[in-house]
Amino acid sequence: MASKEQYSNDLGLTLGMLTLRIWLGFRAILTGIEKYAGTTSRDKDVLIDGAPNAYGLTETATGKVYAFSNYNGVPATLYDKFSNEPLIPTWGLNLYDTILGPALILLGLAVLLGIAQRTSLFAMGLVYTSLTFGLILVKQDAGIAWLGIHIIMVVLALALAKYNRFAILKKW
Amino acid sequence: MKLKLPTLSRRDFLAKSSLGAGLALSAPSILRAKEAGAPADDIRVGFIGCGKQHEVLFNAMVNIPGIRYVAAADIMKARVGRTFSAIKSRFGTNINRYLDVEEMLEKENLDAVFVSTPDFWHAPHTIMALEAGCDVYCEKMMSNTLEGARSMVAAMDRTGKLCQIGHQRRSNPRYRYTLEQLIQKENICGQIVNINGQWNRALSSSQDIVSKPSILPDADTLRKAGFNQGADHELSLEELRHRFLNWRFYTDLSGGPISDLGAHQIDIFNWYLGAQPTSLMASGGRSYFKDREHFDNVMCVFDYDTPQGNVRAFYQVLTTTSSGGGYYESFMGTEGTINISERGAYTKIYKESGADGTKWDELTQRGLLKKQAAGKAAGGSDAIASYESAPPDEYALPGGLSKAPHQPHIENFLAAIRGEATLTCDARHALESEAPIYWVNHAAETKETIFFTEEHLHT
Repeated sequence: MASKEQYSNDLGLTLGMLTLRIWLGFRAILTGIEKYAGTTSRDKDVLIDGAPNAYGLTETATGKVYAFSNYNGVPATLYDKFSNEPLIPTWGLNLYDTILGPALILLGLAVLLGIAQRTSLFAMGLVYTSLTFGLILVKQDAGIAWLGIHIIMVVLALALAKYNRFAILKKW
Repeated sequence: MKLKLPTLSRRDFLAKSSLGAGLALSAPSILRAKEAGAPADDIRVGFIGCGKQHEVLFNAMVNIPGIRYVAAADIMKARVGRTFSAIKSRFGTNINRYLDVEEMLEKENLDAVFVSTPDFWHAPHTIMALEAGCDVYCEKMMSNTLEGARSMVAAMDRTGKLCQIGHQRRSNPRYRYTLEQLIQKENICGQIVNINGQWNRALSSSQDIVSKPSILPDADTLRKAGFNQGADHELSLEELRHRFLNWRFYTDLSGGPISDLGAHQIDIFNWYLGAQPTSLMASGGRSYFKDREHFDNVMCVFDYDTPQGNVRAFYQVLTTTSSGGGYYESFMGTEGTINISERGAYTKIYKESGADGTKWDELTQRGLLKKQAAGKAAGGSDAIASYESAPPDEYALPGGLSKAPHQPHIENFLAAIRGEATLTCDARHALESEAPIYWVNHAAETKETIFFTEEHLHT
């Protein structure tokens, strides 16, 4: 009876850990990918009575595309605010701007696939902490709280790390 | 770089030319015929005036094929240099730079020139260019005086050259579509009874223009260019430069806000109604900018007799307040209202609750209109049912303009030069529309109603 209960508890915690990995992994991967997102717009003739109008009236069809050329690590509005902060050096901001997107994608993949679980979770926690640091300086309290929730989830995943299953590299 | 300064002042020009007619005697050197051999495809273009409005025009031209940029003239060396650099960086071609318009017209073989100098130079520069054999695109207002504008029409007729005036809304597909399809063909407004137009501009956009003194023309150049005219004392260099940068504030150099901003929109009143007004009342004041010669806010009411009935049109221009919907022209009819603006965001169409819903639904299905929202009552405990009208449904134009607002008007001008189109706003039609506007400041000063006669409005 006791071993069955222990098994049930282990299964629950294992699934809990897996859920956290999936959530945190996809969250980081998609956030990183979104930094390569941009929009395209194409003008097309307005149809009147089923035919292109004679006046040259157009409507714009917009679409979303991903490209390396669209990359923006730190969103432009935040970048401008950060660049005015004396505690954030320009070189550091530029470096952060360059690596943030790829870092989120790599860490997200590592957490999702279970590669060096504890290390990758800790690194992800550091990234979210670093983001929090910037938001504290520019007084974006809602963003700080939002990142705080991420940190709690990372800590929870670290606490459940011993129940980790389905991992590629269980070490570290 | 040619550094010759202007040798013919505007005052000299007008005096010698007797409103343009005597130009043939006074300035024979610019009366050469256009040289043969100009490329059949590319239109050889020159610029007269390289200030802010020139930049608006140039930016609207850069995507139009078949233009060869040849020369530019302005009395301010830095401006001509900026134009040179803009063309060089965009097209990789060098243009010839002039400080003297006459010299440019003499030396260059131009098909067309774009005039975007201060209003009081429009007529002299346009006439010079027409007489030199160029087709001309001149910014509105045609002139700072009715006589100046009439002399431009006379020069156009005399030379047989094209003269397009920069009322660019006349070529705008959205404006043309609204007039021809929605108002004239489908009659969605029913009987248009009122027109209401405005341009409300904020204080922040109405401040004095300043510039680094080291790049501004010297006093002699500015005097020769007529920036001292109307002054009651010998102007200092600082005063001359203020007039050069802020010519829109001075009555002898411009028509003021009603001309700068109102002319575009009152032109739409007249164009859409196909009529000139019969009378004018106006009021204006220097309510905030007390040291400016022109009024800083003007309101006026035009009356029209049209085949569909009498119409009243109210127009206001403010340089002190931007709220209240920006700039638009609103045609208010018994069945619908069209608020149209050069800005798509300010354009809205409303169906009166009593209008034929089946007809509007059919127009929507055919693609002539887009339905945006059903009418929504404001509600609230302060609503008194017997006072309220049912709220109108909101519609939109089916599409917009995917170019710079000035581009279609310039394209029309270039197509007309090639013989592929007629001008949408030649000088004569522009003056028919502009003539009533020249009387607004006078009506506001005198507080008298003007009942228009042929003498007021003839072209």
